[in-house]
Amino acid sequence: MAVECKKPSTWAHYVALLKKDLSQELHTKDMITSMGLYALLVLVVYGAALAQAGTELDIQQMAGGLLWAVILFTSLLGLNRSFSHEKEQGCLEGMLLVPMDRSVIFLAKATANLLFLVVVEVVCVPLFFFFFLGQVGAAPSWPMMLIPLAVGTIGIAGVGTMLSTITINTRGKDVMLAVMFIPLLFPLLWSCVAATTCAMCAPEGWMNTFATSLAMAGAYDVVMILVSWVLYDFVISA
Amino acid sequence: MTRLTNALEIKKLTKVFGDRKALDRVTFDLPEGAFLSIFGPNGAGKTTLLRILSTLSRPTQGSVRVMGIDAKEEPDQVRGHIGLISHNSMLYPDLTAMENLMFVARLYGVVNPEERVRELLRSVELDHRRFDLVRTFSRGMTQRLSIARALMNDPQVVFLDEPYAGLDPHAVEIFDELIGGLREGRTFVMVSHDLQKGFDTCTHALVLARGRVVTFAPKEELDFEEFRNLYRQTVGMGVA
Amino acid sequence: MADKPVKEPVVGGVLDKAAPAVLIVGALLAVAGFVLNFTVAGLVNGAEVSEPAVINGVVVGNKLLLSQKIFYWHMPVALVSFVAIAFAAYYAIRFLMTKRSCFDTRARIAMEIGLVFILCTMVTGEMWTRYEWGVWWTWEPRLTTYFILMLLVIAYFILRNALADPERRATYASVFGILIFIDVPICFMVTRLIPSSVHPVVFRTDSGLSPDMLLPLLISLFGFLCIAFALYRLRLRAQVMEDKLARIQDALED
Repeated sequence: MAVECKKPSTWAHYVALLKKDLSQELHTKDMITSMGLYALLVLVVYGAALAQAGTELDIQQMAGGLLWAVILFTSLLGLNRSFSHEKEQGCLEGMLLVPMDRSVIFLAKATANLLFLVVVEVVCVPLFFFFFLGQVGAAPSWPMMLIPLAVGTIGIAGVGTMLSTITINTRGKDVMLAVMFIPLLFPLLWSCVAATTCAMCAPEGWMNTFATSLAMAGAYDVVMILVSWVLYDFVISA
Repeated sequence: MTRLTNALEIKKLTKVFGDRKALDRVTFDLPEGAFLSIFGPNGAGKTTLLRILSTLSRPTQGSVRVMGIDAKEEPDQVRGHIGLISHNSMLYPDLTAMENLMFVARLYGVVNPEERVRELLRSVELDHRRFDLVRTFSRGMTQRLSIARALMNDPQVVFLDEPYAGLDPHAVEIFDELIGGLREGRTFVMVSHDLQKGFDTCTHALVLARGRVVTFAPKEELDFEEFRNLYRQTVGMGVA
Repeated sequence: MADKPVKEPVVGGVLDKAAPAVLIVGALLAVAGFVLNFTVAGLVNGAEVSEPAVINGVVVGNKLLLSQKIFYWHMPVALVSFVAIAFAAYYAIRFLMTKRSCFDTRARIAMEIGLVFILCTMVTGEMWTRYEWGVWWTWEPRLTTYFILMLLVIAYFILRNALADPERRATYASVFGILIFIDVPICFMVTRLIPSSVHPVVFRTDSGLSPDMLLPLLISLFGFLCIAFALYRLRLRAQVMEDKLARIQDALED
């Protein structure tokens, strides 16, 4: 029973890998539920944390930072899980036995993580507005915050996928990911918070800071994701 | 069985990291169609050897040829010819049997993946459960499905890494039967702790200790009692 | 080795013989630089120690003027720590290319030296900010960057400790080392170009060094470079000996 194999294109590999992650999620809804719930709970914590601040607090100026804190912690939770299915039954080894370009695994996994994060953000960002900006509202330029949101999420998914591949093999992997992820992501966090705050408050001359922040966040994404992609082969093969 | 070429040609294979020698100048040739059992105490380098043969790890020195292809130079070529069945199922518990195999079929680029997957499912008698999540399968069923998975690319060399771990006697029987049916035209390399079982099924035996080859011989030249004593001595040499 | 031979750097050569001497020379130079900055270099903008000075229309007291002297150690130490990280990244790349554990050892030791100097930078930096800016901590670009760098280097060692398999540990550590090296300049640029805009605080920065200030600074810098280099060689040699000892112990057990 000879089996005909035609070496598939890199794109075909990418699609197969991504589809596998998505159908897994469709069966369990594991990632989305846990991340969504966690994000909601962080918002509840914010409610208590800000309860005593009263009306004097300028929530507009803090909103950008608070929003990014939810996203960062939620993504940490998701990233920690994203490779646990691969490790449990040795599926990662199964993938390495297939003749293919291994950095595709990085791209597919990063895309899957990005999609899950986007779904969670679609729910939790409006909720955040509803809970904390309902009275004050945001500056009319607020829709511009979607740009830093997108740039930041891409960076989180890219760098996070790389780091979670590393931490899956370590002892105490949950803490390990946070220890590496948060400082490494600091520049991106800083610039995304700046850009988001600019869009939400629209102080005078905000466009300038907004543009610089976005440029920096974009540069971070490009550099870090490229480097991760190049180095990924070493990590996954080790 | 025609023995024209060697399935495995290993020359002075060494794996070193820092001061630790996991494998030290391992050399042997295995003819096509043979069944090799690798024995040795823990830490003798069995797993390292299997990982290098299956291209999951790179040797430091020496050469490895699988089906005549250099595993160091062209690992992707080698990967097309090999399959691995391990005590880990390499299956996603949250996907159905069908989805698991379709995923692997797409990665290998099998032409007519659906046909091939159904054929494999029938051969391990799991066709009726194809739409069930692997999570719901028994250990034995999962093992059968993982055999089907390993056979996706119709490998000429199959590696077995502690395949009996966690199987009940009945599942072991079924497993042996399945493997027995696959012997035709395939070369097997097995790492197992089960001395009796490993010796019974093999045509060649390899004993490793501290990364070195202690014995490599066709079974005809070995007597089980003698072999067991030899093995005990090696294990007695202690484990680092 | 059959395929391309990798030249492994030697340990125990001339460099190691000279290391203790270099260490002493470095220490002397660093001290000389520190002393010289009191004797040769003037205070900022030619102020006198005996009386408060007026700089940019602000009266600046003696304590503040003298606190500036820490700068002559602070800046060289900071520079040296970054040089150490750069070397760690270089050896990390060498490791990934060759997979020789000797390069991983070097990367790790360079990172250790880097950590020591980063800690020194943080301490001297704290002294400086306390008197110069009147605060113990502020999220100012240089401080922030060094704080993040410190966290990253600590994470590097936590990562190493969390991995059992030596080859995997070396690979992961190398990759993370390279990421650190790339992340830090980005971090500095980001914090510098995007100031915390909501509460802008203007800090006085002493720009422009007069030649009499430059000399002690360069002497200190060279001194600390010597110290770092000597420490690195000594540490490396100790490590190699330790490995040898472990190998002999193993052989004896057989």
